[in-house]
Amino acid sequence: MNQNQEKPMEGHEYDGIQEFDNPLPGWWLLTFFGTIIFSFLYYLHYEVASGPNQEEQLKKSLAAIESLKKGGPALDDEKLLALFQSSSPDKGKSIYAAKCAACHGAQGEGLIGPNLTDTHFIHGGSPLAMYNVISNGVLDKGMPPWKDQLSFDDSVAVTAFVYKLKGTFAANGRPPQGTPEKTQ
Amino acid sequence: MQQEIRYDDRIVRQFLIAMVLWAGVAFLVGIWVALQLANWKFNFDLEWFTFGRLRPLHTNAAIFAFAGNAIFAGIYYSTQRLLKTRMASDFLSQFHFWGWQLIIVAAALTLPLGITQSKEYAELEWPIDIAITIVWVVFGVNLFWTIARRREKHLYVAIWFYIATVITVALLHVVNSIEIPVGLFKSYPIWAGIQDALVQWWYGHNAVAFFLTTPFLGLMYYFMPKAAQRPVYSYRLSIVHFWALVFIYIWSGPHHLLNSAMPDWAQTLGMIFSLMLWAPSWGGMINGLLTLRGAWDKLRTDPVIKFLVGSVTFYGMSTFEGPILSIKSVNALAHFNDWIIAHVHGGALGWNGFLSFGMLYYLLPRLWNTQLYSKKLAEYHFWFGLLGILIYYISMWSAGITQGLMWMAINDQGQLIYPDFVETVNRIIPLYWVRVIGGTLYMIGFLIMVYNMIKTIQNRGTLEDEKAMVPTFVSLEPSPQESTHRRLEGLGTAFSVLVFIAVFVGSVISIYPVLNIHRYVPVTVSVEPYSPLELLGRDIYIKEGCYVCHSQMVRHLDFDVIRFGNPSKVEESMYDRPFQWGSKRTGPDLARVGKKYPDLWHYRHMINPRDIVTDSLMPSYPWLAEKKAEYDQLPKRLRVMKSLGVPYSEETVEKATEIARKDAQAIAQSLRDQGVTDDNLAEKEIIPLIAYLQALGHKVKGNPNVSLSK
Ligand code: HEC
Ligand code: HEC
Repeated sequence: MNQNQEKPMEGHEYDGIQEFDNPLPGWWLLTFFGTIIFSFLYYLHYEVASGPNQEEQLKKSLAAIESLKKGGPALDDEKLLALFQSSSPDKGKSIYAAKCAACHGAQGEGLIGPNLTDTHFIHGGSPLAMYNVISNGVLDKGMPPWKDQLSFDDSVAVTAFVYKLKGTFAANGRPPQGTPEKTQ
Repeated sequence: MQQEIRYDDRIVRQFLIAMVLWAGVAFLVGIWVALQLANWKFNFDLEWFTFGRLRPLHTNAAIFAFAGNAIFAGIYYSTQRLLKTRMASDFLSQFHFWGWQLIIVAAALTLPLGITQSKEYAELEWPIDIAITIVWVVFGVNLFWTIARRREKHLYVAIWFYIATVITVALLHVVNSIEIPVGLFKSYPIWAGIQDALVQWWYGHNAVAFFLTTPFLGLMYYFMPKAAQRPVYSYRLSIVHFWALVFIYIWSGPHHLLNSAMPDWAQTLGMIFSLMLWAPSWGGMINGLLTLRGAWDKLRTDPVIKFLVGSVTFYGMSTFEGPILSIKSVNALAHFNDWIIAHVHGGALGWNGFLSFGMLYYLLPRLWNTQLYSKKLAEYHFWFGLLGILIYYISMWSAGITQGLMWMAINDQGQLIYPDFVETVNRIIPLYWVRVIGGTLYMIGFLIMVYNMIKTIQNRGTLEDEKAMVPTFVSLEPSPQESTHRRLEGLGTAFSVLVFIAVFVGSVISIYPVLNIHRYVPVTVSVEPYSPLELLGRDIYIKEGCYVCHSQMVRHLDFDVIRFGNPSKVEESMYDRPFQWGSKRTGPDLARVGKKYPDLWHYRHMINPRDIVTDSLMPSYPWLAEKKAEYDQLPKRLRVMKSLGVPYSEETVEKATEIARKDAQAIAQSLRDQGVTDDNLAEKEIIPLIAYLQALGHKVKGNPNVSLSK
């Protein structure tokens, strides 16, 4: 750009401010028209032609996620007990402190939720029964479901921790609820 | 014939000093709220000091007090010189100044007290809204009157931008603030749910456009060529980018509501108009930077130029990032987290802040008739400021993207990898500390400026209004040789009418259809209005500013749905005045929190969240268990709601207080059964709040799968 040839516009002077009349930069115009054309096509695709709306897109991606879930291992008491052996007790303890102590008490003595240190259970004291109630919760009674909040390993770890609390009879525990577990 | 006149420089000095004072407040509160997010203890467990109440104070102070006074200073200075006439009325100028400061003081008092409408950047309650309208009209009258008395036939591009500002801000403010009072300090908007959301973000987005962009562009067009002493790069570019900006900006509001319950077509409009904004915005940047051709050496020596160039560069960055963030898939990652906070501060600290500082360094010697005390200190200010912004920006960018990716992450068994929301918050706390450092550096730069300013003013010469020789008469008759646009520049009224049409068209087309949408909620869906107790709780939720940390909008995104539950639907918020969809998730979404936990959980969690969630950063709200709820206000509130179309029976309205008290007794009793021993529990604010939280997500009966999107 040779500035010597550039002359400010005649009659354009405001408080000493002058103006050139340079053309619009080409790349700038290209960007402007580019976004306009893209926008037009985008609108046509999604709002005039039958591009998917957000509900259809959501359904599709949820279905894809659902298909991942199938085929998880079928659990029973024995498998769970084996998994308990291999899971880290510290992890179970810290998850319990962070997620469960608020309702079941720091020692498991019971607070909003029932005492977990006695031998009475509303939903059963077997590994599988505990795992299921922790995963699925009892929404009406105020026990949240944890299956979407905890990974499989974390669920196992905290179930292992709670399973070990059974029969430890913490001090100041809430009175037992549910039915006594049959001693084997 | 020439005539000697004097410009009113006193008013400019007043606005400039006010700008500096309020900037200090805005920055200080900003650093404070940043500390509160880094460590909850900075909330001090004091009700008027919690994050929920201080954060709106920070945003209002930054936008309306700091940036507001900055643009008024610049507009009053440049307008008089560009139009070759003194402001039409000194009385109106002074009225504008003192009125505006009073509004700011009112905001600074009411927001910490919890007097708020909870609509972002429009939180102030109705008496202040009216005051804003009056003061704004006074400003407008003064400006247009001055334009009418001008001694310069053509309006320079800076004035175009001022005209667009005055007209559009008036339109935005009035439409967004239509509300029905229920007492001196409380009102309900006539818009509900989706209407309110759309009107609010049409306002919110265009407050950024017409309060933080167009007036600053006008200032840029004045101070850049003045400081560089070079002609503006391209008159043609000014015309094209001005009209493109004014026309396109107004449509982009829905980009704040992407993937939400907003109908698809409105989201699409919001996204594509945002994309189309990129080039028009950059038009301003190009015109500013290329004006410096032949004067780049000044960048090294002149602090004014340094700040202006920094400012325009940040403008370019923000206006590139904005369109990117409006792309639906990018928005899915960025929305509700700190990427948006980074984006805003690039604009506010970089573009608005630096431009205001550059302007201040330009005006200081001229208005106080002296030399700038120290160029060196101004240099330090620049580098501290720049470093502060970069640290702020980079830390929040990392925080946002980190958290966004954690929210999205799903493993190969279809489960969230970070299902625990708190983990995604605590991961970024170190970055919150880094942000505090960034903000502090920026503040240090600012304090250096204040020192420099005080020293400069101490050395002032005599304070006189600047003299100018202007023609006694200028014919405003259009001449036939002029091009069409040139002719328009000589026609103030026609120009203003065209600007109004440009912003009005986009507003009507993008908003009007949504205002009717509640009518199309099918009769198979019945939405129960809030019970009186729940409504009372909702008003407490608003008062405490819970919405600054919690959204109530499960988006149509798989990871949102897995984490929080079914996507939110239009009908769910159709009686929500104001809407509470939220804009930031420092805490989890609450749209589906109802009945998720027992009442006692909420009771303990509200009083001290750390009793329940060990490492929560949510503030404690102990006063909720001490302060009495305003039960006797209820009939009045329900009456207004009923008049706005909420289906309350006459009996419910009349007996609202009793009904609410009865419901409260039941909740209080169950808490007492579980060991809560507070006296007079049912009267306390915490009970209605719990009732409201437990109602969230449980108000829609009938077929929940109804779609209104197409
Ligand atoms: C919001 C409070 C709350 C939280 C948090 C909570 N629980 Fe519970 N929990 C309850 C309630 C209430 C019940 C009783 C449900 C019923 O009555 O059917 C319960 C029941 C149970 C039971 C069954 C007890 C029985 O008698 O059969 C187990 C096991 C259990 N919870 C484990 C956990 C674990 C592990 C966690 C943490 C991952 C946890 N809970 C977190 C409230 C809670
Ligand atoms: C500074 C931001 C902040 C503010 C302000 C805030 N919260 Fe929170 N909130 C959080 C965070 C972080 C969490 C997650 C940790 C926890 O549960 O304490 C949370 C969690 C919650 C939860 C539990 C949600 C769930 O699904 O587990 C509720 C309910 C809640 N907040 C209600 C409120 C209410 C009511 C207010 C206003 C009085 C409020 N919050 C104000 C940050 C905030």
